[in-house]
Amino acid sequence: MAPPAASQRYPSPSQPSGKSEVTDLKSQLRQLAGSRAPGVDDSKRDLFKKVISYMTIGIDVSSVFGEMVMCSATSDIVLKKMCYLYVGNYAKGNPDLSLLTINFLQRDCKDQDPMIRGLALRSLCSLRVPNLVEYLVGPLGSGLKDNNSYVRTIAVTGVLKLYHISASTCIDADFPATLKSLMLHDSDAQVVANCLSALQEIWSLEASHSEEACREKESLLSKPVIYYFLNRIKEFNEWAQCLILELAVKYVPSDSNDIFDIMNLLEDRLQHANGAVVLATVKVFLQLTLSMTDVHQQVYERIKSPLLTLVSSGSPEQSYAILSHLHLLVVRAPFIFASDYKHFYCQYNEPSYVKKLKLEMLTAIANESNTYEIVTELCEYAANVDIAIARESIRAVGKIALQQYDVNAIVDRLLQFLAMEKDYVTAETLVLVKDLLRKYPQWSHDCISVVGGISSKNIQEPKAKSALIWMLGEYAQDMSDAPYVLENLIENWEEEHSAEVRLHLLTAAMKCFFKRPPETQRALGIALAAGMADFHQDVHDRALFYYRVLQYDVHVAERVVSPPKQAVSVFADTQSSEIKDRIFDEFNSLSVIYQKPSYMFTDKEHRGPFEFSDEIGNIPITPEASSDIVPQQFEANDKDLLLSTDEKDDNRGLSTTGSAYTAPSYDNSNISSQMQELAISGPATPATTQQSSFDFDDIFGLGLSTAPAPALTPSPPLLKLNPRAALDPGAFQQKWRQLPISLTQDCSVNPQGIAALTVPQSLIKHMQSHSIHCIASGGQSPNFKFFFFAQKESEPSSNYLTECVINSSSAKAQIKVKADEQSTSQAFATVFETALSEFGMP
Amino acid sequence: MKAQSEELFVCFHVNGEASGRRSNLTIRAEKRERERERESSTGHRCFSVYFSSPIPEVMLEKQLTGHRVDRSICAWFWDQADSFKSFPVIASPTHYLFQIVRDGITFLACTQVEMPPLMAIEFLCRVADVLSDYLGGLNEDLVKDNFIIVYELLDEMIDNGFPLTTEPNILREMIAPPNLVSKMLSVVTGNASNVSDTLPSGTGSCVPWRPTDPKYSSNEVYVDLVEEMDAIVNRDGELVKCEIYGQVQMSSQLAGFPDLTLSFANPSVLEDMRFHPCVRFRPWESHQILSFVPPDGQFKLMSYRVKKLKNTPLYVKPQITSDSGACRVSVLVGIRSDPGKTIESITLSFQLPHCVSSADLSSNHGTVTILSNKTCTWTIGRIPSDKTPCLSGTLALETGLERLHVYPTFKVGFKIMGIALSGLRIEKLDLKTIPPRLYKGFRAQTRAGEFDVRL
Repeated sequence: MAPPAASQRYPSPSQPSGKSEVTDLKSQLRQLAGSRAPGVDDSKRDLFKKVISYMTIGIDVSSVFGEMVMCSATSDIVLKKMCYLYVGNYAKGNPDLSLLTINFLQRDCKDQDPMIRGLALRSLCSLRVPNLVEYLVGPLGSGLKDNNSYVRTIAVTGVLKLYHISASTCIDADFPATLKSLMLHDSDAQVVANCLSALQEIWSLEASHSEEACREKESLLSKPVIYYFLNRIKEFNEWAQCLILELAVKYVPSDSNDIFDIMNLLEDRLQHANGAVVLATVKVFLQLTLSMTDVHQQVYERIKSPLLTLVSSGSPEQSYAILSHLHLLVVRAPFIFASDYKHFYCQYNEPSYVKKLKLEMLTAIANESNTYEIVTELCEYAANVDIAIARESIRAVGKIALQQYDVNAIVDRLLQFLAMEKDYVTAETLVLVKDLLRKYPQWSHDCISVVGGISSKNIQEPKAKSALIWMLGEYAQDMSDAPYVLENLIENWEEEHSAEVRLHLLTAAMKCFFKRPPETQRALGIALAAGMADFHQDVHDRALFYYRVLQYDVHVAERVVSPPKQAVSVFADTQSSEIKDRIFDEFNSLSVIYQKPSYMFTDKEHRGPFEFSDEIGNIPITPEASSDIVPQQFEANDKDLLLSTDEKDDNRGLSTTGSAYTAPSYDNSNISSQMQELAISGPATPATTQQSSFDFDDIFGLGLSTAPAPALTPSPPLLKLNPRAALDPGAFQQKWRQLPISLTQDCSVNPQGIAALTVPQSLIKHMQSHSIHCIASGGQSPNFKFFFFAQKESEPSSNYLTECVINSSSAKAQIKVKADEQSTSQAFATVFETALSEFGMP
Repeated sequence: MKAQSEELFVCFHVNGEASGRRSNLTIRAEKRERERERESSTGHRCFSVYFSSPIPEVMLEKQLTGHRVDRSICAWFWDQADSFKSFPVIASPTHYLFQIVRDGITFLACTQVEMPPLMAIEFLCRVADVLSDYLGGLNEDLVKDNFIIVYELLDEMIDNGFPLTTEPNILREMIAPPNLVSKMLSVVTGNASNVSDTLPSGTGSCVPWRPTDPKYSSNEVYVDLVEEMDAIVNRDGELVKCEIYGQVQMSSQLAGFPDLTLSFANPSVLEDMRFHPCVRFRPWESHQILSFVPPDGQFKLMSYRVKKLKNTPLYVKPQITSDSGACRVSVLVGIRSDPGKTIESITLSFQLPHCVSSADLSSNHGTVTILSNKTCTWTIGRIPSDKTPCLSGTLALETGLERLHVYPTFKVGFKIMGIALSGLRIEKLDLKTIPPRLYKGFRAQTRAGEFDVRL
């Protein structure tokens, strides 16, 4: 059996056998072509079957086109079908030859048998040869008027095909108008449905350059048309029902009665056997009631049962699609599904993609009432044979622990995982224990005693190792052998391949040093020396930074590296609520499966190398390109939980950002400000440092006396702003209303800035010095709100509008950017953030 | 059921006067606008459908629109890692792929535009169902032997990327299945065409699932209740989940235009149901009566979910103790609550953990087989009256392992004929006009779906 040919037209030379057989076929067909002997149809059928089976497995049989067409003069319907199939496949490549087929197809379009009429018409329209369109108009016109609905159905689709081959021919023949009258008057539901789908497509493609089409397109969404369809929705087949429901989603109801009328008409669709119909109905319900909060909640109650049935009764693939949608609903209204958690228990035989989604569901609906049962269930999966699922379920337990207040029982279970002595279980659990401790420091005693018993030799995964090292550094005073474990690890620095682990080792050695200096001194010295000689830029920079900070003042170093910890109350969520809302608007679409709104994967700028083109099939498919679209989903799942930026950068190969600071720290703002302070004051006082570095190097046994140039230079702003920009408040307001939010970002304000904020004017002045102008401000401590605007220097018409809310107690700022030029808003946000972060600096 | 839902909608009216709705509506209109723009650039549905066998090979390809999808997409698909490839929806650099796997055959659909994912998956499921119905099963050889029929079917099921008719009864009239009868006929009559000469009248009738006037000399209608029980028993022996999913399957051979009503003795046990399009919704809403004009031949009238059950008919008590590299296993199986009919075809299968190097298992009833992939199956059959079936033996762990950390899950299989375990009972089946020589038949059966006992 030959492999599928890469190109249809040029078979690869590696298929000699296929080629000789094709030649064979050719001569045999030629012999039969003119023959009218009895039984000739049978031999023809065998030959045709051979030709088509070659076509199917990818062997190029276009060379027998002429012979096939010659043989097609037959009354046998199976032969006809095979011939139609063949011709349809190769006509595009042989426009001259396909002219031959037109003749017999046109004749068949007038056949007595409606089935032959229909099939011939379908094949005729499927030829898709641009210079033959003139032959289509006639048969299509009579097809639309045919008294058999089967032929009409095919003719309607044929019109759409014609439109795609030659839009002008289709419009000139006035087919859209014919379709419209068919849509509103034909007695056959399938004809009506096909008209609807064809007209939707034709009019929306025409709308860009024809006002009439635009109007017609709007008229499809008018009340009479919508009700015309909804009232007779039961007459349509299931797929056409989906089409109508999609149309109904776009309808904007006039008042609440309208909404209830539609919901009453559609309620029984929720009971339909086809899941696609159910989901399309759910979308209509959800969208209709968006503005009515109470009703919206009732809709959730109403749709819950049908959706749960669909999850468990269909095939795994169906469950997967439904679960993706359920997940979206659950995140919006977790309490509604809270009592149905058992529906999301994993069965042994389910494919892992379903199990994974179910675990996410269980995490999302866990609350006070069901946590115990859910966690008990999840713990059973930890001993699952499927390792990926075992890991996921441990992570799920951790997520639940982080979102619950009563974690007592959960901590016990996590510690039991450690006792299982399975390397992957231990690894996952360590990462979780670390996160738990960050949120609930009060558990440190229980956890540390168990973690202390784990041998670092058994842990190989970088993430788990980092977690263990972090705990060793953080709780050095509670773990008696912490310095010695660290020292062991540091001595094996060369064998440690993960930069993440080395970074954590540096930080942990520092922390340990502050707590138990005499025991750690040697280890820290080795770590700093190894770190500064490290080939990895981040590790090198961090080691150097620690070295300099220690050089400058050990107490400052302690404040920088090991400040008093505040428990983390909320871990950063990976998706903003706005994105979630966008996905919700796109319910029942691929967006839901990929957990990101469609613009992220269908817009050109987000799609990267992926471009539409007619010859798309010929574009070589590169694996890198795909990474653009999909794997982030998994990453997003992995990352749901956490953390500081370091982990994400790590996943992308540690190459994207130049951020040197990746220690798991909570008050970044504080530290970074202190870092800058140090960077500024360090070189400014060379005399004193020189002195101190002398002893200092002695202490750690380092022979470094000259330090390389400071690595901390801020990157230059990418965007030039007009320093004398002007915008009057009215115009600002108007723009603010018109433009969509192109970017929302959270950033931190340094403490000096917060201090200076007692006089809000100072911030306004400061931002003005960065060419960002304030148009309005207000608010009282701790919440301040500012509206800024800025203009691009090169194009005064390109404005950036920004809303900035600063919370002085948390030292956080949230900025929302709206821009005329959406594409540059990220660059602007960077400029803005840089400006803001310098606020309060001398 | 009725009261509940009417109340729901009455509430809608009361709460409908929410203020500030207007502004919300306009916002939504804008958003819609954006959506529509996106669709305008798109519009098509599936671009192509592929069937592929387990060894990477395209068995069948069907291009659906003018936009040709190159076959290299399949090569890309096969090159993906298994963990990624198994997802039902996959984004390739050029297309979105939907796939389902049935009996080793992968059904792949490609699209480049936004479409409801479930619609594509449902459609592929229908294709698989129709094919296995037509070909009497699904496997590589069957598809390859009958690929002309498969093409014919696809031609009628989807046109220009949008699904048309997927109703098996209608398709059957357009394209005759390749069964023995038609082969015989073709030999006898010399007419080898497997396409029926007449066009399905159903496409033109107002009841799209039924041909206008089928004729039968004897009229027969059979109703089957088929239930599947899903259950999970956790490590503590506690029944954490036990649900029943059922179907009402019918086989109808009735002349003319029969109007049927089917009622249950105890419809209150039903939690949620899905109906064949032929079922009229209002009679069910008001009186829980299924009123319908049936399709001709076999079909699924409704599927339903039953409220949680308290008990499974069987109990399975597994025990594993492990110590210094060896495990002792014992599993007891018996009847927990007698359903009133014999429980048949009882099986117990489980996957031995990877760390088990060898197993020595035997039973006092039935047979035990261990396959090379470490799947162990214990076929019990019926529970004997004189003893409790027991599987026992030892597992040897790989060297270096003291105790077992990964435990197997036992999958239980059983079948009970003559009873629907949910307790659902059919009360009666009536015909509006009773045809001559009418036979009615009822049957019920329950089998294990996913019945997991964890250890």
